[in-house]
Amino acid sequence: MDSSNVPEFTPKHRVPPRLRDYFTGASPFQRQLASVRKQTAFGQTPTRRKIPLCSPLQENIDPQKIAFLLHKQWTLHTLTPMYRFSYANLKQYSMHLKSFLAAEKQKGLAMEMGEDFNFKVTFSILSGIKGTHRDPAAFLVQIISKSQLSSKNAEDKVVWTGWFCCVYGDSLLENISDDFTCLPLFLANGAESNTALIGTWFQKTFDCCFTRLTISAFNLSWMAAMWTSCNLEHYRTATELLWSAPCSPQSLDISYAINPEDAKALWDSIHQTPEEITQEEVDLFIDCLCSHFHRHFKINLSATRLVCVSTSVASAHTDGKIKILCSKYLIGVLAFLTELAIFQIE
Amino acid sequence: MDEIVAEFIRRTILKIPLAEVVKILRIWNFLPESQLKTLNLRQSKESVSQEVVELCKKKHASMKEAAILDIIYHQTCQIKKIWIVYKMTKAPGEEVDLFDMEEFKDSFKKVLQRTLKNVHISFRESEDNAVWIRVAWGTPYMKPNQYKTTYVVYHSQTPFVFICHCRIKKYIPELCQALMTAGSYHEIRQMELRSLYLDSLKAIVFKQYNQDFQTYCTPLEERNLETEIVDPRIIHENMKEKERIQRVTREAFGDYVQPRIEFAQYKLETKFKTDSKNGILAEREEPFRCLVKFSSPHLLEALKSLAPAGIADAPLSPLLTCIPHKAMNYFTIREK
Repeated sequence: MDSSNVPEFTPKHRVPPRLRDYFTGASPFQRQLASVRKQTAFGQTPTRRKIPLCSPLQENIDPQKIAFLLHKQWTLHTLTPMYRFSYANLKQYSMHLKSFLAAEKQKGLAMEMGEDFNFKVTFSILSGIKGTHRDPAAFLVQIISKSQLSSKNAEDKVVWTGWFCCVYGDSLLENISDDFTCLPLFLANGAESNTALIGTWFQKTFDCCFTRLTISAFNLSWMAAMWTSCNLEHYRTATELLWSAPCSPQSLDISYAINPEDAKALWDSIHQTPEEITQEEVDLFIDCLCSHFHRHFKINLSATRLVCVSTSVASAHTDGKIKILCSKYLIGVLAFLTELAIFQIE
Repeated sequence: MDEIVAEFIRRTILKIPLAEVVKILRIWNFLPESQLKTLNLRQSKESVSQEVVELCKKKHASMKEAAILDIIYHQTCQIKKIWIVYKMTKAPGEEVDLFDMEEFKDSFKKVLQRTLKNVHISFRESEDNAVWIRVAWGTPYMKPNQYKTTYVVYHSQTPFVFICHCRIKKYIPELCQALMTAGSYHEIRQMELRSLYLDSLKAIVFKQYNQDFQTYCTPLEERNLETEIVDPRIIHENMKEKERIQRVTREAFGDYVQPRIEFAQYKLETKFKTDSKNGILAEREEPFRCLVKFSSPHLLEALKSLAPAGIADAPLSPLLTCIPHKAMNYFTIREK
């Protein structure tokens, strides 16, 4: 996006100087890394990341409007760029999707809708959920089941919610033509069958492709480090890592929960560069936790599988489930997830 | 028959798996065998329970009998509720009286009913000198709620009591007092041991888990006769380490089947220390507070398999291997 008062950094990217302190995604180093990533046969994840604190656009977010995004478990999916999607047509999309769902229901396909046919579909924009101005606006789809009760005050129940967003998605947006809208991260809450049906409609209508986004143990450890590094006024929950040991015949789950202040102290003792997290620091953080554990139990956690990470900022499960607990770092969490989604698409 | 009793019996029968219904009714011994034989088990569970209720109505079942049915259900079926172990101690120098079951039951009932009005108490004795006590709690103004019950299992020849609180924490002091008075004990203490499996708790606490300990050892060589590795030196080193691990694991856990518990919890309050010299958190005096919880359908067997699988060192930490010996699965570990 252009801003006439801004000095040009490079011919391609114009970044206002005040964004320097935030995760810009447009520094020469970052772009070089991105191009290196595309050239290699195997994608490379960056060895250092700027700590995504928040976006300057976050000021536009109405905390009450996004409160419903917090404290809910979302299933993560990736979405390839949508062809000929237009924000002007949201009302038509909601009507089309509703008739599609009603038709599927009539066919006898199982749908968790509550009362038959008495539902409505809404498409709405989620303002402020983006990293830079280049990111397309996030939007929200909801299926609301209208109460069968004749009383006017009967509450509508939201049966299914899904939202599409792109936070600091520059590496994907760079080479894409204007016909496409890139919102690689899709989060859904509600019955699986509904998610599948709605996914089918999007795939048919916009020629895009959905897949489940799984989070590897490697990325979970990054999340543990990143979220432990966040400064919060008070910590609601412990920093908890859940490991799963492949014993046979019985499975063994090990939950390792560290007092959040102690975890932060450990991280602060490891962390060197302000505003940046390196791979070495993440590895050292996890190693320290594992060796403290080993000292007591003689069990090598590195031989087991990290399955779930939970902090006061957010909690994530390897199956691709996330719960965001803190509005201050909402953008930061989404930025990392967007990066994972883009990585999976490419 | 009271509607409340009818509903309670109906709901209890609904909880029982269809295959066990007749068995439990037989143990209950309230309905005659002839009626049990004619019970139609091919219908839905709803209908079966309804049929049983009808039969009970004809025989005028009361809450007293229904309570016994409830106890038998809990004794027979795998109930997913946590049992906590308590240990009672006599005052020093106190004599050990001869135990009388009837006296115990009378005393327990008297003490509990004296402190709390509106409690419904039922007893069922079982073999091995144990008694199951079922208490349904009410309030001074309300009759006992038959769905708000606590179960107590007391083995009279031992100082141990197993209590399934079912999330009712309010009356624990009164319950403990009644047990102490009736059993002529001076003190009662909650042990750091709890599990879903009552039998495992009994095995651990009565030290019965190592009963089928067999002293034979199968050498590793016998088991690996099929594998042929050309270079003898490699086998030897591999074998030695594997044997050592097997031996150490066997020493720690024994050869017998472990009692079944499903979790162990450790509250760590030790200082943070690593082997490497990077001085991380070196000056920190405060403990590095953690809470570690191990869970598994069969925890001890899973822990036993860790060292042979290469996931843990052998010998495994005594913090884990001491669980059955110390009869604990809740620990707080502090710096020595």
